[in-house]
Amino acid sequence: MATDDSSTSHPDTPQPGFLSRYVFSTNHKTIGLNYLWLALFSVFLGTAMSLLMRIHLVWPGAHLPFLSSLGNSPDRFAALTTLHGSLMVFLVLTAAPQAGFGNYFLPLQIGAREVAFPTLNLLAFWATVASFVGMTGAFLISPQSGITLWIVSVAIFCAASLLNALNFSVTTIDLRAKGMSLPRMPITVWAWFLNAILGMLIFSILLAACACLLSDRLLSTHFFPSLNFIASQPASVVANAVPVLWQRLFWFFAQAEVYVAMLPCFGLTTHLVSTFSRKPVWKERLVVLALCGVGLFGFCVWGQHMFSSGMNPFSPLVFSLLASSLGLPAAILLVSWLGTLWNARIQLNTAMLFALGFISLFLSGGLSGIFLARHDLATAAVSDDFVTGHFHLVMGVAATFAILGALFFWFPKIFGRRLNEPLGKLHFWITFAGVYCVFMPMHWLGLIAHSRVSPGSPLPSVAAAGSSIRAFISVAILLTVFAQGLFLINFLWSLFRGEKAEESNPWRATTLEWSILSPPPPDDFGLSDPVVYRGAYEFSLPDVAEDFVPQHLAPEQSARARESGE
Amino acid sequence: MPGTTAVPDIELVVEDVGGGGGGPTPPPGGGGDGDDGSKRRRPGGPPSPNRYYTGIALGIVSILMFFMALASAFLVRRGTSGDWIPVHLPAVLWINTLALVASSLTLERARRSLSRLNLSGFRKLWTVTTALGALFLIGQLVAWRQLVAQGVFMASNPASSFFYIFTAAHGLHLLGGVGALLYVLVRKFDNARIALPTAAEIASYYWHFMDGLWVFLLALLYLGK
Repeated sequence: MATDDSSTSHPDTPQPGFLSRYVFSTNHKTIGLNYLWLALFSVFLGTAMSLLMRIHLVWPGAHLPFLSSLGNSPDRFAALTTLHGSLMVFLVLTAAPQAGFGNYFLPLQIGAREVAFPTLNLLAFWATVASFVGMTGAFLISPQSGITLWIVSVAIFCAASLLNALNFSVTTIDLRAKGMSLPRMPITVWAWFLNAILGMLIFSILLAACACLLSDRLLSTHFFPSLNFIASQPASVVANAVPVLWQRLFWFFAQAEVYVAMLPCFGLTTHLVSTFSRKPVWKERLVVLALCGVGLFGFCVWGQHMFSSGMNPFSPLVFSLLASSLGLPAAILLVSWLGTLWNARIQLNTAMLFALGFISLFLSGGLSGIFLARHDLATAAVSDDFVTGHFHLVMGVAATFAILGALFFWFPKIFGRRLNEPLGKLHFWITFAGVYCVFMPMHWLGLIAHSRVSPGSPLPSVAAAGSSIRAFISVAILLTVFAQGLFLINFLWSLFRGEKAEESNPWRATTLEWSILSPPPPDDFGLSDPVVYRGAYEFSLPDVAEDFVPQHLAPEQSARARESGE
Repeated sequence: MPGTTAVPDIELVVEDVGGGGGGPTPPPGGGGDGDDGSKRRRPGGPPSPNRYYTGIALGIVSILMFFMALASAFLVRRGTSGDWIPVHLPAVLWINTLALVASSLTLERARRSLSRLNLSGFRKLWTVTTALGALFLIGQLVAWRQLVAQGVFMASNPASSFFYIFTAAHGLHLLGGVGALLYVLVRKFDNARIALPTAAEIASYYWHFMDGLWVFLLALLYLGK
């Protein structure tokens, strides 16, 4: 292969310093990896916060080291919830699958050597870091200015995502390698591409909303009459105006993020399922159409709400958005995943387990979403346990599973070492059982609370079960978080001591990133540009010796392989 | 080949200083035999300018979405509130609009000079365009001052808030456009990744879009009060 000599052909290149190699590098791989580090840091910070909140819920009087020093008031708690949510939703679920893996692997998978606008890409990353600092800082200062800082950070995040989306869509449209026609693109690339287009529309609207919100807070304008909104709440809520404000603002932005976070996860899952089933994606064209449908329906339903309410964050929320707009496309995706798995020789390694876990969580979360399509239930339940359970199961945990699956899949390519499989499987099974034990009972709690507030059916016996359910959830959370420690150990240990991935294609996958060395050389493809001859999922073809045919394999090469196989 | 928006006739105008024996740029992806060992970063020659055309097109869509969101907020807010006091648009806005529309015309004439290899004519007309853009921005500031003198402030009522946020957001975007015009004017394109005609064309798309957007916003503010 041409790539073998490229790493040795330029030994006289001076070794660049730390700053130019990691901080100011415009290389898409460095930036993608930086996004992933940021997401990893955020996910552990966010998990620590959820633990704090849990402890506070179970033992309200407990003296918490972090929370108490800031005063144990309700608005601190609301700020903690918002901070947990924004770290997880913005910096993990939105940034990791799209900007992290996308930056690293989108150019590699389409045979480009860089993204279209590397400098903008670098700018986008550092803007994301700035928004991370701002969101975290918002928690530490007084509530009123904290909310302002938080909105500024979200605005910066939106701008960074816009730059990133612009980069991805232009890269996919214009920088594809020779032969990489649209039907030959891997589903992952499709998902990143469609998500980038979706992001350009959604984040523009959110940016406009941020501008109006900021003007309301700083220049005392009245784009959104938030006072009316707070006055219309029940009397018990009006007393704590700040927590309600935090919650509303967070859900306003989180609603939009649902689509942006889920689309790349669909792509990752489809890719993993096909690769480890050793079968082509079942009805690949239909899957691409379904992905388009997710983007289009999602944007239309959400956008219609935004435009008809004048982007008002205090207008009634539509929690049924996800359920009602994903129905058909999600069903198509599910059928395709099952169709791919059908009769396949499935390789149950950790990456595949996480992909299957994603499917399971998405299915069960989607079913509970049907209840939320009842508008009256959804609007009543902003901070309800049912919504919390549903949202976490579909969006948080499912997307995290897709991210973890992708990490186990691509770790050998990124670092040249493999994650430990037995430890990874243990981590998977504890996490998988754990999240079901945490979030399924939460649905129950929400229903119980709902039955209590609805007139005529007090159901005291059911309500009494609430506290034991809460205790059960808390134990399950501790267990799940402990399992994440296993992952961290596995990750760090494998990073330095893991089994070396000697061959460049350990999973016997077809896409272009596996045609080059692991870790990839700085210029990706060496001297010659890659050329693509076939679709992305040619697995288990008849009369071919190997059970996969890489995209870059020329027809005459594959013919030779066929002869040698017979 | 994706996105063939490139205009063939201006490809010849690449300034003759740095070219040497380079000849015309090879079509993207076509000549990628990578015989030049020293240039290991891009074996295929200079990058295709397609990405800039696609980038500006998508960027325009994105900016349009930003303003459409504001416009929808404007229309919804107008319908729902009782505290809406329409802004009486200052007359200077019409002069500003004329200046901006005129700048689009001079911009096109500048590009025509460029395609006829008349570089000095291009620079002159391009400077006029930039000046007209700056004039527009100053005029917008004058309009703000006049409104303030009338006692109409940002926070006076929703209608005035929308007037200020529309003009401010558009002004900021246009300021970026003026920056792009200056960049094209000042930048030496000898060794750039982008050729002068391409840069001029991209800047012109953005500028015309900003022009059209302003006319739309003005119509919205005028008719929607």
